[in-house]
Amino acid sequence: MEAVLWYVLTSTRGGANRIRILRALDERPRNANRLAEELDLDYKTVRHHLDVLEENDILTDSGDDYGAVYLPTDRVRNYWDTVEQIMESTE
Amino acid sequence: MVAWIDLARAAVGLNMLLLLALIYVWGRNYYHIRSKHTLGLLLFALLLLGENAIAMYFYSLDPLLSAWFSTAVPDPAWQAMMALHVFETVALAVLAWITWD
Repeated sequence: MEAVLWYVLTSTRGGANRIRILRALDERPRNANRLAEELDLDYKTVRHHLDVLEENDILTDSGDDYGAVYLPTDRVRNYWDTVEQIMESTE
Repeated sequence: MVAWIDLARAAVGLNMLLLLALIYVWGRNYYHIRSKHTLGLLLFALLLLGENAIAMYFYSLDPLLSAWFSTAVPDPAWQAMMALHVFETVALAVLAWITWD
């Protein structure tokens, strides 16, 4: 899990925005639309990042299609130290 | 007829392009995220770019070696060399594919 977090969040082209998304969802679960508005990102970009993060078991969603809210998985909560370390080195 | 050395130059050139794409992404990430991981990936790509740049220099510019590589190296030796270059190209393409995401 740690290796996945480092790669997906710090080593890919979209890494910086994925960190912003994860940070926002840690504060409060939100749906894709709200995230796009709040982070000033294109809706499709946000959708893509959410899919990648879900695929890697970093995020999960509430499952109600359009209104689905996203939140960090239990698994990533167990590795939150790593996430914080990554967030701290970002600026 | 395309000579083996031209194919080798093309493969090495492709490796260099893929590495430049990786250096672009990893360099930008290192600029924002000062961590051991981002630095390590950047250094890895820079060193591998160096390796390919040296190969390109031997194949194309070095007065002694480039002449020798283009006239005196038999086909079976080129085929073996090409296998190395092409495996590297595929490996870098996979890495670029997961990184350009």
